[in-house]
Amino acid sequence: MATQHVIIGGGPAATNAMETIRELDQQATITLISDEPAHSRMALPYWLSSQIPAAHTHTADAAFFQQLNVDARIGQRVTAVDPNGQTVTLTDGDKLAFDKLLIATGSSPLDLPVPGNELAGVQNLWSLGHTQQLLDATKDAEQPRVLMIGAGFIGFIMLNAMHKRGWNLSVVERESHVLPRMLNADAAGMVNSWLTSRGIDLHCGAAVESIAEESDGSKVVTLDNGTTLSVDVVIVAIGIKTNLDFLDESGIETNQGILVNEQMQTNLPNIFAAGDVAEGPVLGSDKKEVHPIQPTAVDHGRIAGTNMAGETVAYRGSLSMNILDCCGLQTASFGRWDDTSDDVLTISNPTGLVYRKLIWQEDQVVGALFAGRANDMGMLNDLGMVKGMLQTQARMGAWKEFLQENPFDIRRAYIAAGVPQQLVSSTLLGRPSQPRKYRFGGKVSAVQANQSHTVFVDAKSS
Amino acid sequence: MGQTVSKQRKIGMPKSLKIVPDKCTGCMQCELACSWVQTGTFAPSKSVIRVNVFDEEASYAPYTCLQCDEAWCMTACPVNAIGTDQNGAKLVSEELCIGCHLCTLACPFGTVFTLPKTDKASKCNLCGGDPACAVACPTSAIVYEESTPAGDWFGPWSEKVNKNYVAANS
Ligand SMILES: Cc1cc2nc3c(=O)[nH]c(=O)nc-3n(C[C@H](O)[C@H](O)[C@H](O)COP(=O)(O)OP(=O)(O)OC[C@H]3O[C@@H](n4cnc5c(N)ncnc54)[C@H](O)[C@@H]3O)c2cc1C
Ligand code: SF4
Ligand code: SF4
Repeated sequence: MATQHVIIGGGPAATNAMETIRELDQQATITLISDEPAHSRMALPYWLSSQIPAAHTHTADAAFFQQLNVDARIGQRVTAVDPNGQTVTLTDGDKLAFDKLLIATGSSPLDLPVPGNELAGVQNLWSLGHTQQLLDATKDAEQPRVLMIGAGFIGFIMLNAMHKRGWNLSVVERESHVLPRMLNADAAGMVNSWLTSRGIDLHCGAAVESIAEESDGSKVVTLDNGTTLSVDVVIVAIGIKTNLDFLDESGIETNQGILVNEQMQTNLPNIFAAGDVAEGPVLGSDKKEVHPIQPTAVDHGRIAGTNMAGETVAYRGSLSMNILDCCGLQTASFGRWDDTSDDVLTISNPTGLVYRKLIWQEDQVVGALFAGRANDMGMLNDLGMVKGMLQTQARMGAWKEFLQENPFDIRRAYIAAGVPQQLVSSTLLGRPSQPRKYRFGGKVSAVQANQSHTVFVDAKSS
Repeated sequence: MGQTVSKQRKIGMPKSLKIVPDKCTGCMQCELACSWVQTGTFAPSKSVIRVNVFDEEASYAPYTCLQCDEAWCMTACPVNAIGTDQNGAKLVSEELCIGCHLCTLACPFGTVFTLPKTDKASKCNLCGGDPACAVACPTSAIVYEESTPAGDWFGPWSEKVNKNYVAANS
């Protein structure tokens, strides 16, 4: 009989698993339950900055679910999982039976425990709904005043989007510098002064004590150093938690996230977890971690889908990586960038806007940090190659010393140490990847007719 | 739709760009050709093929996207802006790309960038099946052919660069 797959969630982990299962098994029944439309959160900032319409963030629609023969329950939540009876319960009371279950429920932003946090105009900025809420709240103001509480990675992506719209922005961060979990103090110092010079009002080393509302609707935010700030909207971006409350009685083992093995399987063999909600294997480490990033969600989804469909693939582990534009300055981090060991190479030239750091363990690069002007080709090239070094866990041998002396000549060391060759044979699933089939507006892939090419190639070959 | 980049192509096995480092003299014709056909300007900085100039090791070699079977750039893209064509090329759709840089971060070969002007990802698209770099190369250091696995030339080249560097510095 056909296997019954149930997938909870509609983010990249869920949709990648769904497509992978369908690729491998035409007969299986697949049901996907998500309280939001299937979409990529990563695209939300581009909607906020009005570069794309909301629908461009979507990764599936009704017609696509039908094409894949997936029963999509959008707008429904799963409230409980019963592993013994092999059922899930939905908000509308429906119970669905499963043979294989995938939990890909992602994560949610934390609330700020201060007086005034319930006021209208104090919100998170994480979902389709939040983005709409902010767009509604600011639609009549010419230059809305927005305060962001928390200066982390996701907050900054949204800050950049609001900067593009020319909004009046301020940031409060409890730690002594911005992006405390992404950058060290030196690199963050560069970001701090860059942002200040771009007109963003930064308050680091300060915590919010309370939020109050004036008669004209503005919010007055009081900090523990006595400063008060008056703004139209307050955005709370102080951290995230994994969405696993509904599993309380299920017997599924959790820590920060749902614990999974290298097949993305939980302690219960027919239940899998993937994406932000999963605490899984880490490349080059025995520890398990939650890596709440898009590429990990995709990897997890594809690995889980393959194993759920009955093939066996093992995940080598995820590599933590982030890239961020903040108002024209670009920062990128990989792996154990925050390792405190002193086997590091650091180059810092704040006036030239260059910051690079490589963290070594013996002759392997285990972490890296870059900051520089946005779209600096040299930096973009180099960071891809550094990712290659981390991904292959290449032993750089004598080339470690070379890099210590020639930190901008990454390419030579990368090639001489044989990294590209090792990469050629390193794949995730061991079979060619298919492009995902859903595309906004039904766009097809094709190289456009190109006059320059015709002129050039014809002239050369005649 | 739109698949009309010059001439007719022979239908057959997927071809790939094969590099013969020993034949490359570092003349940069491929970079010039690439930037011209991709962006309409002769600006090697916009080329998506890059010549490595390793003078000390007496080794030069152009380097570009391998069109991996299991393409890291394509799977990472949050809005499915990277697709494939019948040549196996991984293509960025400018209309769909939001400029998030995730493909740049995900590609471990360092062969997909974002163009500063458009803020859209840019990578080798094999020119729709008639790569201008291979046409431009005067020494046949770049050949577009049905070949052994893509990237099989990396190993010998790495060894040579490594060996020559050690020799030059000892
Ligand atoms: C604004 C923003 C910008 C980001 N930018 C980047 C970036 O630049 N780079 C990067 O790598 N990552 C970025 N991320 C993080 C990235 O989006 C996440 O890591 C990714 O979305 C995780 O995918 P997921 O499928 O695990 O979970 P999610 O995308 O969170 O999807 C989970 C889905 O499940 C639904 N759900 C939850 N519980 C239930 C339930 N009980 N029943 C039914 N449905 C449920 C949720 O509503 C949600 O739709 C960003 C995130 C945000 C919010
Ligand atoms: S850009 Fe990189 S990841 Fe994408 S196909 Fe080319 S080599 Fe592979
Ligand atoms: S930069 Fe464009 S092509 Fe690359 S991952 Fe982002 S949206 Fe996709």
